[in-house]
Amino acid sequence: MGRVTYRALFVALLALCACPVGAAAQPAEAVTPVAPETPVSIETLMAIDPPASNEPFKVKWRDVVFGSDADLAQEPQKPYDWVSERRACEGCPPRSVGRALWQTTAINVIYELANLIRGQVTARITPKTWWDNMSHGWVWDLDDFEVNQVGHPYQGNNYFTSGRANGLSFYESAALTAFGSATWEYFGETNLPSVNDFINTTLGGIALGEMFHRASWLVRDTRATGRGRRWREIGALALDPLTGLNRFRTGDANRMTDKPPDMVPSSIEGFTSAGVLWRGSETRAVNATGQPFLELDMLYGNLQAGESKTPYDAFTVRLRFGGGATFSEARVRGRLLGEPFGGGGKMQFTMMQSYDYQANDAYRIGSQSIEGAVGTTMSLSTNTAVWFAGWGGLTVLGAIDSLPLGVTERPPPEEPGTGGGAGQGVSEGPRFYDYGPGSTYGTFALFTHNRRAIAALLYEGRHIYSLDGVRANHFVQRARIDAMVPLRGRLGLGASGEYFFRQSFYQDEERTQVEYRFPQFRAYFTWSIE
Amino acid sequence: MTGRLLVALVWMCLVWLMPADAVAQSAPPAQPAPEGGPASNLWLTGGVAFGTLRGDCQTCEEEFPYRHATSVLVNAGYRANERMDVGAEVFWMPVDSEGGQQINTTHIDAVAQFRPWASQGFFVKGGAGMAFVRNWVDLTAQDPINQKALSVVIGTGWAFRPAQRFGFQVFASQHVAAIGDLQQAEENIPDVVGNFWSIGVSVVIR
Repeated sequence: MGRVTYRALFVALLALCACPVGAAAQPAEAVTPVAPETPVSIETLMAIDPPASNEPFKVKWRDVVFGSDADLAQEPQKPYDWVSERRACEGCPPRSVGRALWQTTAINVIYELANLIRGQVTARITPKTWWDNMSHGWVWDLDDFEVNQVGHPYQGNNYFTSGRANGLSFYESAALTAFGSATWEYFGETNLPSVNDFINTTLGGIALGEMFHRASWLVRDTRATGRGRRWREIGALALDPLTGLNRFRTGDANRMTDKPPDMVPSSIEGFTSAGVLWRGSETRAVNATGQPFLELDMLYGNLQAGESKTPYDAFTVRLRFGGGATFSEARVRGRLLGEPFGGGGKMQFTMMQSYDYQANDAYRIGSQSIEGAVGTTMSLSTNTAVWFAGWGGLTVLGAIDSLPLGVTERPPPEEPGTGGGAGQGVSEGPRFYDYGPGSTYGTFALFTHNRRAIAALLYEGRHIYSLDGVRANHFVQRARIDAMVPLRGRLGLGASGEYFFRQSFYQDEERTQVEYRFPQFRAYFTWSIE
Repeated sequence: MTGRLLVALVWMCLVWLMPADAVAQSAPPAQPAPEGGPASNLWLTGGVAFGTLRGDCQTCEEEFPYRHATSVLVNAGYRANERMDVGAEVFWMPVDSEGGQQINTTHIDAVAQFRPWASQGFFVKGGAGMAFVRNWVDLTAQDPINQKALSVVIGTGWAFRPAQRFGFQVFASQHVAAIGDLQQAEENIPDVVGNFWSIGVSVVIR
């Protein structure tokens, strides 16, 4: 609920690890090298060395020195007793449930303060607003689509990664995400707690959180030294701020170890696409004006085969920028369970969690789902293979754009400060999208030659039954075909055609039915990542 | 007033239980569970609770009263690891409306119960599923109206297990049923959300 300064979070989180409360809360679990050291205060942990006459300025924060190349040479590492530090492995973070809970609460405080500084009325919390929220119960909220479907999952990702950063498992971090989400809803804003926010923050936060957490471990090189190591740690911090800050806090960012074994994928593939898309409408085949887009696809681990009970040891990510909206698509599908079956294990069953956000001219949709998929891989020749899969699942909560019956166009958004007087940050509606549970289904085929994708076919459908908003059954379907040709090295050329079809069956007396059809074509260059 | 009292009790449980475990955090981890750990992977609980319902709708002007009733809660599932149980939960609560008609609500949720500290009885629980609402509100016909709703549950509690396989737990939970339109004889009430607070005791079988 409420608009949150998500971009300000990164800066605000920097204060998180410097806060002495966290250190004091877990004195027994602070990183303790084997070589005995004199206990140090927070003041000495963060010491600034004044520059000498011709020395570059440098800052020492705990074990990490910033600003001087001379100090970048890796000092010989003392062996340390990682077991006594409650680490699951040498490169794993020290485990602390209490610190994870404290940092989750601190994240809420930072978000709340960010909203307060921005002048949001909803940030003026008091014990009375807490009690009002607790005694009233949950409602649906009226916030913007992007706030609820992107902003809240991102906030949930911070809760989740605070758990992972403190050595908690995936499922423990999932519970922590629910804790952070619930406490935010009750105590972080004056708005009544929102059921849609709780679900989106928790489930979306789990999906985004584990994805970002694992992606950040791809960036780190824990055997490297010097400036390159440092920049990799900073790059990883941008993806997963909580883990990054905790690594700087504990000194892990400067320590040579192996990566945690479960953070090393069995394989990593992906490609970047950049090009132009042309979209049609009900009245016109395609628009003459193309819209540039940039799309990132990543396949982490092997989703096609293997027995697995490790959540997100394999997942897919798609992010698309441009193409009609600044941010037009985000998809994360993470494996929760993988089990081969059939003769010789030719078939593969996969249980997945998925997070979806799509914005196009036909529909805007966001959802949190659990899906089951069955797939198999077949060799067509010595170099060519095809991977078939089909899936079906339940959407715990989906959002889809919708207009009240009789309204044909969404009115322009009101200028800030011209609303109904409820104050900044208070959404009074109307809200032009519906919420409800539903289902998802689809199939795809991916053709590869020499392990590079050359063609892909996709069909997917969704159903959302509106429980909040305009009462309707919404069905959206999408078919897509891609063809890609390798040009030189990692560079390739691709083209795709898509067709969107939406039907909405309204539950009014006339049983109104509305349909939309949109074709879409793309031409793009690709850059493969292996 | 009783409704607010129950809501306060539920929240007091949350507040009381959390600091207790924060203190327990300093204890050595992974202490064996009572009586040598779980006897099996079974997770079964059943009990009764005192519940309060508050229905609300976004477009309604009036304040809705709290309504109270006894409720039944059952969990069945398996122990995924020393800290987590997963399974299904059934929560049933019949409530009389202002006019004397009854509304029966049955929540069936997929739930995960998590113990942050394996050596302690404290747990938190969350889940989602469906709620089935059977109401006779303002009906002229004999048959009730059956409706489905989105259900979400959060909860907490403390399990005491003096024997290896048996024990009991005290719990507090909040179930939410987002029903959409509540159907009545003459008109539908749009965007209705029912909040069910409950506090109770149940038997635990492992």
